[in-house]
Amino acid sequence: MPRLEVALVTGRTIKQGSQIESERYTKEYADAAAICFMNPDDMAELGVKEGSNVKVTTEVGSVVLQVKAYKGNPRGLAFIPLGPWANALISVRTRSTGMPFFKDSKAFIEPTEEPVPTPEEVVSKNAGKKLLKVPVDYLMSPGDFKGEGIFESHICPICGCLCDDLVVEVKSGVISSIKNACARSLAKFKSYAAERVKTPLVRVGDELKPVSYDEAIKRAAEILVNAKYPLLFGWSETSNEATRLGIRLAELVGGVIDNLSTFCHGPSVMGIQQFGIVTSTLGNIRDNADLMVFWGCNPPSSHPRHFVRYSALAKGLKIKGRGERRIIVVDVRETEAARVADMFVKVKPGMDYDLLTAVHMVVKGLELESDEVAGVPRDVIVKMADMMMSAKFGVLFYGLGLTATSARNRNIEAAIRLVQALNDWTTFSLNPMRGHFNVAGNNHAFAWLTGYPYAVDLSRGYPRYNPGVTSTIDLLARGEVDAALVVASDPGAHFPAQALRHLANIPLIVVDPKWSLVAGLSDVYIPTKMLGIDAEGVSYRMDNVVLRVKRALESDGLMDDVEVLEKMIKYVEEVKARAA
Amino acid sequence: MQPKPIIIRGGHVIDPINKVDCEVMDIGVRDGKIVDPSEIEESKAMIIDAKGKLVMPGGVDPHTHIAGPKFNFGRIMSPQDHRRAWIKATPTRRCGTGLVVPSTAYIGYKYAQMGWTTAIEPATVPLKSRHTHEELDDIPILDKACYPLLGTNRLVMEFISKGDIESLKCYIAWVLKETKGYAVKIVNPGVAEPTWWNRYVGLDLDEQLPEFNITPRDIVRGLCKAVIELKLPHPIHVHCNRLGFPGNYVTTLKTMDCVSDLATGDKPIMHITHVQFTGYAGTGWANLSSGGEAIAKYLNAHNHVTLDLGQVIFGESLTMTADAPFEYVLYHIMMGKWFGGMAESEATTGIVPYLYKKSNYVNTVQWSIGLEVALLTKDPWKIVFATDNPNAGRFTKYPLGLSWLVSKKAREEIMAKLNRRGLKHTALPAVDREYTLYDVAIVTRAGPAKILGMPEKGHLGVGADADIAIYDLNPVEVDVSKDYKAFIRAFKRALYTIKSGVIVVKDGEVVEPNLYGSTYYVDATKALDPDAYKSTVNYVKEAFPKLYSVSFENYVIGEHELRKPLKVEVAK
Repeated sequence: MPRLEVALVTGRTIKQGSQIESERYTKEYADAAAICFMNPDDMAELGVKEGSNVKVTTEVGSVVLQVKAYKGNPRGLAFIPLGPWANALISVRTRSTGMPFFKDSKAFIEPTEEPVPTPEEVVSKNAGKKLLKVPVDYLMSPGDFKGEGIFESHICPICGCLCDDLVVEVKSGVISSIKNACARSLAKFKSYAAERVKTPLVRVGDELKPVSYDEAIKRAAEILVNAKYPLLFGWSETSNEATRLGIRLAELVGGVIDNLSTFCHGPSVMGIQQFGIVTSTLGNIRDNADLMVFWGCNPPSSHPRHFVRYSALAKGLKIKGRGERRIIVVDVRETEAARVADMFVKVKPGMDYDLLTAVHMVVKGLELESDEVAGVPRDVIVKMADMMMSAKFGVLFYGLGLTATSARNRNIEAAIRLVQALNDWTTFSLNPMRGHFNVAGNNHAFAWLTGYPYAVDLSRGYPRYNPGVTSTIDLLARGEVDAALVVASDPGAHFPAQALRHLANIPLIVVDPKWSLVAGLSDVYIPTKMLGIDAEGVSYRMDNVVLRVKRALESDGLMDDVEVLEKMIKYVEEVKARAA
Repeated sequence: MQPKPIIIRGGHVIDPINKVDCEVMDIGVRDGKIVDPSEIEESKAMIIDAKGKLVMPGGVDPHTHIAGPKFNFGRIMSPQDHRRAWIKATPTRRCGTGLVVPSTAYIGYKYAQMGWTTAIEPATVPLKSRHTHEELDDIPILDKACYPLLGTNRLVMEFISKGDIESLKCYIAWVLKETKGYAVKIVNPGVAEPTWWNRYVGLDLDEQLPEFNITPRDIVRGLCKAVIELKLPHPIHVHCNRLGFPGNYVTTLKTMDCVSDLATGDKPIMHITHVQFTGYAGTGWANLSSGGEAIAKYLNAHNHVTLDLGQVIFGESLTMTADAPFEYVLYHIMMGKWFGGMAESEATTGIVPYLYKKSNYVNTVQWSIGLEVALLTKDPWKIVFATDNPNAGRFTKYPLGLSWLVSKKAREEIMAKLNRRGLKHTALPAVDREYTLYDVAIVTRAGPAKILGMPEKGHLGVGADADIAIYDLNPVEVDVSKDYKAFIRAFKRALYTIKSGVIVVKDGEVVEPNLYGSTYYVDATKALDPDAYKSTVNYVKEAFPKLYSVSFENYVIGEHELRKPLKVEVAK
């Protein structure tokens, strides 16, 4: 049987990103995420056609996926969208950074006749526990919401762009139209009632039993108080008010509290700790930047309106549009973003650090001795450096292509140093493309309450922080935590299999507006209102501009995250007082 | 539950606003206010025996970086700082970490432990004010406020270039009200602008800015005029041009003088902040000397300016300011960590770690400038003691810093360890003046409260907020000028701190960690012509999409977003 060795990269696609905003227990989700994108020549070599199945195997496991051709991939590189399928292949090793191998692992691909597993199958297998679907009786329907009116300047809480110009029209409790929305936003606002649950549920064996909010929160409090070393994870898709309460809860129960930046921009934070950063708000970039570098990020898939509102195509005060800007895209594959670029630089997977250093050398006036670095010819590197130095105002946007590849935080340090050096020539900004809408706010709230931006261990009563030791993936991989609270996040969709396995098999509480993939593994599930739909709260944009997300609908009988956490804190205090 | 009324019995009270200098008297506290002790029924009150103790109003710090995006990036950049100091969380208390950039709860507790009850974050980008308020909300005990940065704001520069002071007034009132700010902060006027901050480094007061056809002088004058006419409680709070450059004391003098003609009466119309950083004489670092004497001389001759010191305390610091050009220069000296931030149409930020060494020539000169200004200025009401926390030193070192003011002996002891050549470039060794405790009460409480325009703060008269500090120091028996160590000991850990009538600190330990103070903000819109205000707001609304990447409606911060807002309305 033919077998092909490839470098494996996982990442966001627009279809996958949209689908997780609507429904996850569906065939559509599998169609969006159970895909392996390959170079057509690789496919020919392997003897597979578009749409046929392949089995992808790494050191940690294998999974069957549908193959799709993507010309932008170089030979020997396979791309799989984020999701439980990709997670089956990802190693939990983090090189002491908290960031698992989402990019840059080695994989083998072979043709197969086996079917692509459904979301339930793949999550159950990853978790080593049966994923339960919620019975229809407990689900909400669009009719359960109330409200009327047109909401202008509505904020879209999905990605770090936090666009605040949506116009949402509500007619008798139903969102009837949304203007200025991207595909992901549209999916979210259209399916605001999909997979939303009416009542708290507890799992007894493989059955789900409805309980009251009081009962569920009490149980959750007991689990947390009785645990020796609980994990409180999530927070990046809820309000900062809830996050701040979460930290109080962690103080009381003596656990580890961590947010999603642990495996998105945690390495960025580590870079900032080492060297600082020079950065700018997006409006300033839109108005002034005549050079934009997108490095290891693909806004059209991950932040669909980024180009139009803030960057490549945006109309600014001084720079009026695409015509007055130059754009460089650096990536391992020719992404959608590369299509708008003046210059596309294809870097070898895992060698961004080398390339950043080479550019920095040119900026410093040093001679490059080798003909090419990281697969990029010398003259291209020199040209890149020239473009950066001669810009009036430049910006380097980067994404998980830098934070998750082999050098991780060292990549970020190299980028920070490069941008700091460029400020001797011109004005230059470095901007991380934060993924979730409030992950930046999480870092801030964590920092001001505990001193550390993520992975904060409060088991001794005072905050400690050590990525690789107190970060979620490492804690789960080593099996150290003995109970978990997951708030507004879906580890079922985004944790590497081995980490999910431990999470699913300890007492697990999930607080989430939707019946997410992790909810189907939980012992106690507490539904809440959803930010931007029927709940309000403060959120931080990727450039740390703070907005307060408003709601468009009203829902009866549901509590929001803040209320749930306040109550949980109260019960924890009661349980502890009784024990004392 | 309402706390019990309190009678503080027999303490030596220093209350400069009411001209009480070390008199033995009783202070009554009820419902968070000072009342006549005879009005309180003794059997139902809590009696604090303050015999032989020093009783003062709670401390007021009008310039201390404690919250907001900049300070928090300082925290994020400094994990090492949080490893070496921490307190545990308890069922009532929050956890805390950090020395130079402490976590929010730790800030509140540490200030209260020293007897300070009001602290103001002096620089917040209006666009990111919501962040500042979230953080201020998480600081326990203290009353607080923040100053929005307006000295590099595009709309401000536009109104000034048009000479349109009326619209400027309306815009200031709008920003203060809608971002919940307290006063107008000007940082490196015109220069620390988000698009040209690293191109016009060191631009002086009368040099042309690249856009708007104005100079920094126009900005200072324009904003000063507008704030005077608006009758805001606190005058413009100015961080001068060329901060951190040798020879900059001339710029400071020019800045102070550029508004002297706008003053009427003796009311100060300008507050110069951390004057130490802008009090350098000399032509370069090699021959840096103190400009403190010249500044004090100007202050002695004029009544329209007040200032705070930015007193250097030796040791580690993290410099953080909205003056990005200066931090850009400092980064090139230090070549370590550097945070630079740009916020659209409004302001910039910089953070660079720094270490003040006793053996260092420049640091020695810097240290003496603050003290020189404080000691050579005759009227202590013009001086506020602050370290521009954490820029020149962290606030927890205030007792040490104040000891240099009250005791020549303390100064001499430290000067023996300082750079010899540095001391030759200052007038400090020849200065004999020592502050009395009455002066200390002025520069740490009464003065700042007056300068801030907070009539209920900084004194112990009937009707004032019951913010009180009781120190274990008998002013009759102890001569602080000789026994300055007793002074430091007493001020480090207050015997009692009372905030809003609640005992929050006892014997230097926080006993009520769950009290949260108010956030002051100014609403001056009622004092304006409603039509003019409306038309300016409309103008801003129209300009908004061009200047900002957020919508007008989402920029505005609602009162419900703050834990405990306290609106100060400015009458017409």
